[in-house]
Parts: sequence; C-alpha cells; structure tokens
Amino acid sequence: MFSLLYGFWEYIFRKEEFRILVVGIDKAGKTTLLEKLKSLYSGLPGLDPDKILPTVGLNVGRVEAHNSLLVFWDLGGQAGLRPIWDKYYSDSHGLVFTVDSSQPERFAEAKDALERALGSRDLFGAPILVLANKQDVPIAATKAEITEYLGLGIFDTRPWRVQPTCAMTGAGIKEGVDWLLTEIKKSQRALLLRQATYT
Amino acid sequence: MGLWMSRLLSMFGDKEARILVLGLDNAGKTTILYRLQVGEVVATIPTIGFNVETVTYKNIKFQVWDLGGQTSIRPYWRCYYPNTQAIIYVVDSSDTERISTSRDEFHAILEEDELKNALILVYANKQDVAGALSEAQVAEGLGLSDIKSRDWSIFKTSAIKGEGLFEGLDWLSNMLKNRR
Repeated sequence: MFSLLYGFWEYIFRKEEFRILVVGIDKAGKTTLLEKLKSLYSGLPGLDPDKILPTVGLNVGRVEAHNSLLVFWDLGGQAGLRPIWDKYYSDSHGLVFTVDSSQPERFAEAKDALERALGSRDLFGAPILVLANKQDVPIAATKAEITEYLGLGIFDTRPWRVQPTCAMTGAGIKEGVDWLLTEIKKSQRALLLRQATYT
Repeated sequence: MGLWMSRLLSMFGDKEARILVLGLDNAGKTTILYRLQVGEVVATIPTIGFNVETVTYKNIKFQVWDLGGQTSIRPYWRCYYPNTQAIIYVVDSSDTERISTSRDEFHAILEEDELKNALILVYANKQDVAGALSEAQVAEGLGLSDIKSRDWSIFKTSAIKGEGLFEGLDWLSNMLKNRR
C-alpha cells in the first residue's frame, strides 16, 4: 500500500528530463554558453571563460528549470569531431545550434553544419534554437541577417527560432532556453522519446 | 575537528586526485606515466602489477596509478576502482586490429558502479606511428559517443614525443577544479 502511494506520489512530482544537444562549429562559444547556463539556472559560478579550452569530447550540464530537469550535451565543434554529433541526435529532445555572429567568413561552414544536422532523420520533429552568439562584438551580424543567411524554415516544418545572445554576459540565453523548453514540451517528439525510455 | 583541520589545510594546499591509467597491454601507459612524472622517455618492460607516481600539475596533485594491461591481469583493475576521480584510458592508435578488444574493455569500465562519477579522458596514443587512427576514428572505434551522462574528452598523444599529454591534464584539472 505504501509503495503504491509512494509510486503515485513519485508519478505526480517526478521531474521530467529533457535532453538538449548543443552544437555548432568550433569557436562559436558553446562551452562558455553551457557554463553560463549552469550559473544562470543554479546560481553557482561557472567556469571562468578565460579558462575554457576547446572541447574535444562532451561536456554535460544539468540544470533544473520550470519544474523539469534539463540535460545539456555540449559537443566539440572541430571539423573532425562533427561526425560524433550524429550519435547524440536520437536521444535529444531539442537542438541548440550556436553561431559566432562576428565571423561572417565562417557563416558558410556553419550553415553547412546546420543543414547536415537538420537533414538527419534522427532529429525529426525536434525544435531548433539557433543562437546568434557574440552579440557584444560591434560588427556582429544581426538576428535578421543570420536568419536570412541560414534560410531557416524554408523547407522545414520544425519549430525554430533565432535568438541573439552573448554567452559572456548571459544576455538572451534565458529567453532562448525558455522558448526551447516550451516547444519541447509541446512537441510530439517528447512523447515519442518518453515511450522509448519506458519500453 | 580533524576533518575541519584537513579541510582547512586543503584550502591552502594542493588538491589531490586519484587517477587510474588503463588500457590494453602495449598501449603506452607506463611510458605516459613517466613522461608525465620525470618528463623523459624511460625504457619500460610490460607492467605486471602497477606503478604509482605523484604528478603535481596546476595545483593539483595527481596520484597516478598505472596498472598492467595484459589479458590475464585485467581482472585485477577493479581492486583499484574505489575513490577514483578520473580514468585515463590509453589506446594504441596504430593497433587497428585490437581496437574492438579495447572497446570491450572500455565499456566494461564504464559500467562499473564504483567509477560512475569518474571523468573519462582518452589518449589516442602513438600518433607518431604512420597510419595511426585520428582522434575521431579512435572515438568511433571505442564507441565514446555511447557516453551520455558524464564528461569525456579525447586527445591525440605521442608519449615518445611528449605531445598532447599535458593538454589532457589541463582538461582534467579544469574539470576537477570546477567540480569542487
């Protein structure tokens, strides 16, 4: 009887886990973003941006927000490491694609990497949040410019949004993540992934 | 009281971390250990048992345990698992035939309960050998992408030339400090 009630209690108050994949080409600011995210949502200071080394592997960030548990997977973005991204698609609820807005000469590479990710069947129906990062740099491309360049939403029915951010100060991050979480909760994909974990 | 004193001391002194260096035989574990400790290539013989040295780097005292990697003595690795903060898994990148054996051993380590909080650092070693696999190929061969709940990192290393080893330790020290 007790275990039944306890099970019911757990069922009601269980925090649902959502997994969010953070990718983008190297030097876009993904790890700085992850550290800022951790400090924004947990209140603890994150790693100092000067000390962050290029990621060659995976950094995991866990935060609690809006009564859910968010697990962020930050993967290295160097060209040789991008094939590893594919292995994480099928378990992800949503995708964060980070772009360095101050480096127009690498936009083509970023677009290519994004298109490759969006083309994967394993990301079917996953909401896409594009972060136009490094907005603190004066020459940074605007949200409108990035949106137009990347050509999002033309052949794609997934929910997407371009969010200007500055990972160093944290500006724009919460808006973006809150939007992503809302979309994830609405999406069919969350339901499918939930069924997958229970079978 | 003793606990408080030791905590107070640890605030000023170096942080300590217990690291296990694992991998198949002939991967270069002992060479790596001594390259880190004395900065030289020493002549090694296959390790039967273990070598342990302390390496101080970036205010962290790494107590590095290099365990023998031969098939018959791999079962003894588990005796060293408790209280381990990180695993350095060494792969001979030029040994393409045994990468799947290495993968099996690696996955057995990942499943150990006592190591579930340990950081995973992989050295794709012997990069000086022509035809060595790249870090992405070693990551693929080992199935690193199956790790989803903890941090991992892979570095190209050459223990003979001394390349890549300290970059790996930089990552470890960053992670260990961040955890507190």
